Amino acid sequence: MSTASKPPAGHFTILYFASASSYTARDSENLPAPLPVSKLFEVLEVKYSGIKPKILDSCLLTINLEYVDVTDDSASDVVIKECDEVAIIPPVSSG
Amino acid sequence: MAREIVDQHCYVALTDDPLDAKSIMDRVRSPKAGAIVLFAGTTRDNFGGKPVKELQYTSYEPRALQTMTAICKSLLEKHSLTAIAMIHRLGVVPIGEESILIAVSSPHRQAAWRAGEEALEECKSKVEVWKKEEFGGEEGGIWRANRDGAAGVRIDSGDKKEPAEGPHGPILRPGRPGEKGHGPVVHLNTAGENKP
Repeated sequence: MSTASKPPAGHFTILYFASASSYTARDSENLPAPLPVSKLFEVLEVKYSGIKPKILDSCLLTINLEYVDVTDDSASDVVIKECDEVAIIPPVSSG
Repeated sequence: MAREIVDQHCYVALTDDPLDAKSIMDRVRSPKAGAIVLFAGTTRDNFGGKPVKELQYTSYEPRALQTMTAICKSLLEKHSLTAIAMIHRLGVVPIGEESILIAVSSPHRQAAWRAGEEALEECKSKVEVWKKEEFGGEEGGIWRANRDGAAGVRIDSGDKKEPAEGPHGPILRPGRPGEKGHGPVVHLNTAGENKP
């Protein structure tokens, strides 16, 4: 359920969980690739007004299951590629 | 059906089915172990006195299984455990039922007690599972965050939240990973290299 099917050519898949899923009213979607990771939150803010301050600023990000620190300058040149699986990870609440 | 990773003396799983204490204990049972410590986390009927109707868990399953494996491998080595197993239930969990079971076995009890507690704390701060509390009525559900019992995020919140008041006025500094209920950003991997 959480891992979507392969995106069409020139796109990546983004997964939304918990509060991010409620805000966007979807579990996943396909967005155009390539996209510098530093631009991702801006793209999402345009699509979902208010999502950055309300949701994304407290979220972490994974690309193909690996965490990427979006606040780290050295990550600013990371580019999301076609077919990548990106996930927005809100603060967890397991247990 | 459980989704699971079995790696030598570590067993981690996610399932939509009710949890069974005996079967998770049997995962770590061994003639080399003189102790099995079992933790069962059960769902409470209230949050801060407010009645909770039901709880629902979702997960980024492949990522959660990797994180659970990394936690278990790290504790296995740190406490010289015989075996460790961790299973989390997903979907709707009725009040009073188990949402998580952790079983730890070791030659002597002290290591198992300690590792059991650490395993739960690590799990609660890192494993990519989210709990939604349904209060019923008009309020809708709330996605809980495991940070200091914070109130979580209202699903239907349309109004802008005021910044929190600090001792010198509102706190406007942007958040950093690690202070919002996440652990620090670490690249957990299945080679178990997230040593403290």
